[in-house]
Amino acid sequence: MTATQASAAPAAEPILELDDLDVVFTTESSKVPAVRGVSLQVRPGETLALVGESGSGKSTVALAAMGLLAGNARATGRAVIDGTDIVGADEAGLAALRGRTVSMVFQEPATALDPLTRIGKQIAEVIRNHGDVSAKDAAARAVDLLRRVGIPEPEKRAAAYPFQLSGGQRQRVVIAMAIANDPALLIADEPTTALDVTVQAEILDLLRRLAAETRTGVLLVTHNMGVVADFADRVAVMYQGRIVETGTVEDVLLRPSHDYTRRLLAAVPRLSVAEPDGRAPAGDPRPDDGSGGGDATAPVVELRDISVVFGRGKRAVHALDGVSLVVRPGETLGLVGESGSGKSTAARVALGLIPPTSGTVSLFGADLARTRSRARRALRSGIGVVLQDPVAALDARMTVGECVAEPLRVHRRGLSAQERRGRVEAVLDRVRLPRDIVRRAPGELSGGQRQRVSLARALVLEPRLLVADEPTSALDVSVQESVLKVITELQDELGFACLFVSHDLAVVQQFARRVAVMRAGRIEEQGLTGETLLHPETDYTRRLLAAVPVPDPVVQRGRRAERLATLAAGRTGAEA
Amino acid sequence: MSTPSYLIRRVLQAVAVIVIVTIVVFGLLHALPGGPARGILGPQATAQQIARFNHEQGLDQSLPVQYLHYLNQLLHGDLGTSYTLNAPVSRLIGERLPKTLVLTVLSLVIGLLLAIPLGMWQAVRRNRPADYVITTLSLIAYSTPVYFLGLILVLVFSQVLPWFPSQAPQGQSLAQVFSEPQALVLPVATGAASMVAVFSRYMRAATLENLSEDYVRTARAGGSRYGAILRRHVFRNSLTPVISMLGYYLPVLFGGALVVEQLFNYPGMGLLFWSAAQASDYPVLLGCVLVIAVATVVGTLLADIVQRIIDPRVKAGRA
Repeated sequence: MTATQASAAPAAEPILELDDLDVVFTTESSKVPAVRGVSLQVRPGETLALVGESGSGKSTVALAAMGLLAGNARATGRAVIDGTDIVGADEAGLAALRGRTVSMVFQEPATALDPLTRIGKQIAEVIRNHGDVSAKDAAARAVDLLRRVGIPEPEKRAAAYPFQLSGGQRQRVVIAMAIANDPALLIADEPTTALDVTVQAEILDLLRRLAAETRTGVLLVTHNMGVVADFADRVAVMYQGRIVETGTVEDVLLRPSHDYTRRLLAAVPRLSVAEPDGRAPAGDPRPDDGSGGGDATAPVVELRDISVVFGRGKRAVHALDGVSLVVRPGETLGLVGESGSGKSTAARVALGLIPPTSGTVSLFGADLARTRSRARRALRSGIGVVLQDPVAALDARMTVGECVAEPLRVHRRGLSAQERRGRVEAVLDRVRLPRDIVRRAPGELSGGQRQRVSLARALVLEPRLLVADEPTSALDVSVQESVLKVITELQDELGFACLFVSHDLAVVQQFARRVAVMRAGRIEEQGLTGETLLHPETDYTRRLLAAVPVPDPVVQRGRRAERLATLAAGRTGAEA
Repeated sequence: MSTPSYLIRRVLQAVAVIVIVTIVVFGLLHALPGGPARGILGPQATAQQIARFNHEQGLDQSLPVQYLHYLNQLLHGDLGTSYTLNAPVSRLIGERLPKTLVLTVLSLVIGLLLAIPLGMWQAVRRNRPADYVITTLSLIAYSTPVYFLGLILVLVFSQVLPWFPSQAPQGQSLAQVFSEPQALVLPVATGAASMVAVFSRYMRAATLENLSEDYVRTARAGGSRYGAILRRHVFRNSLTPVISMLGYYLPVLFGGALVVEQLFNYPGMGLLFWSAAQASDYPVLLGCVLVIAVATVVGTLLADIVQRIIDPRVKAGRA
């Protein structure tokens, strides 16, 4: 499925052909063009990746190709699938095409399935939409499909409801529905964005295998350049509704010709990997600046043998199990792990928001369990917090100025209104936001601006510790880059320590001096980032690192082969 | 949680709620001014007559003793004797409860049969003229007091258009009630009208919410027709919140029956409760309230069990 193979069969008619496609959304006040003059082709057996940042129009293109645009959207131009123009086709004609000739895999497996219908029945529905198949035969074929997408015990699982499956398994069910009638074209809209990296690697392997088996054309919509490098033959880059560059995956990712593509790729955090031949790693992890990072200094926060148990009896969940962590003044500790590994719980224990079931937390040298309300509040004023979702973290009814001033009102009651205003303006300067932003509502700001407001609020009390829980995972890479840069500069300037929780190993590698890898409530290993993430000691960390796709198609091809070989060896080893 | 242990727990909870209801109502009724003796013996009664009445009826004992006495009788199926009608309360309620049940169940079933398809249809045709018209009408029906709504129905369909009698069936037995079906039309229509107004709005909102869910898009991407998606997926998903609302709506229905029975002179529980309240007939009042409380608790219990059956997540404790 490489580019050379695809070009070896140039005679194949494209299965999807977009020709000068425009999409306009009508809102109450205006008409917003989302897609402008997009033309592209997908041929049988090839994967075209449509990449771009949020708002670039890439998902709108995918939905337009399915005829699934929202009611206030109008498409013009041509979108031809297997000879049928989707633009202007009637609903009956579209229904006959969808699920048979073209199918779609969606981003959010948690909500993509009907919660009240058994998964086998939902797959059977797609089969019966397009053929005179008895309910019994359709059910049997649904079980076969579940087996094909790698669901264990498919006969039993067919009777399960979506909530009984993990996120990765749900996405497999959505894929089973999509391939039920062997479509000629598969449109995948961010199919792995909601999944952990190891699950992402499995789902990409599955899609690749299925597409190769049936020579299905794939339109892959994604923002993740690693996924592109792993999966695509050709790439189209979208920016503000237009395609700015199209080419083979090697050309676009390694030799980008358009300025925007170059900027986009430069902002992607790259995971440095130890080369097998012992060459120096490609990237440059953040050097140890030595500013108080020595092990001799008293820790800012220390978790000692912490366990957290939610619930009791048979239903008890051990969220943390014997976790010990230290963050020293001025240093950044990265806390990484997959969803459910306990990294956010550990951060909340450090904040004193979750009392540990056993173990001790000391914050700035004081045992948190022994401090009472007033002293504890004083301790807490030394911590700033930035959370993942910049929309939910700010009160939409407050102005930006009120949001940032709130910690001062709570912890620095002696300040006059004027002093307070002065401090708010100073901290807004620090996070590079204009001062006149104070009167605006958080809803009027972009995601990156909002996250900087969160950061300003976290820093207004000049904390000694910043706890950042996935502060950039809701942001585009270029915005992520600027937010991380601001945090780094301020840390050098103000000298606060940072507990940085993230699922993104590449970001942690760039940002943190030390790293702790978590798995199922335990710390798998911890050490200096430069060592632990380059030469991991445990198999789990190695597997985690191997699953991260790097945005270089040549390197990624080698990594994939290596990962699959390791997995195969592990499998035969286990069977032996 | 397994189904038997869930049921046992829920039934115990239900019993506890009913006991609390009896305590609260008992206390409230005894705190009312005047007392039953004055109500029954009239303003001319002397202090001795009142004292003798209170002694005979046990009303001079302490409240906890009176309450325990009442509870003991209750467990033997004895709800006391009416002060004014000189008959056992259990017999009075036994005669009238079936008639009220006929009225409320008919209103409920007819109301839901109209409200659910209407709400779904409105959601599908949202923000078009038909939707606006129905939304406005149901808002009017919703905000109009039940007795006023009933009066309008009587005026239009009994006075102006002489289609239906303005008085409900007066027969004592259920068979007699059903022998005059045309006389049931207006009382049932009055009860059903507010049901339709309330539940078509719930159903419309729930359907709209579900129509914008991702799973609808997935089903469309699989080639399912719009009608089939509504039938197979949206209908059931929209029904779950409506069912849980239904459990809480039962006391409202009984309250409606009180007014409807008064309006159409239908000799059911509502009318019994009405006259008992006017005569300070404590045993009858307590009996009626107890029956309504039991019905409400059983109704919510049923709603929860139905919820568990159609939504597997409830059983697993995930929703």
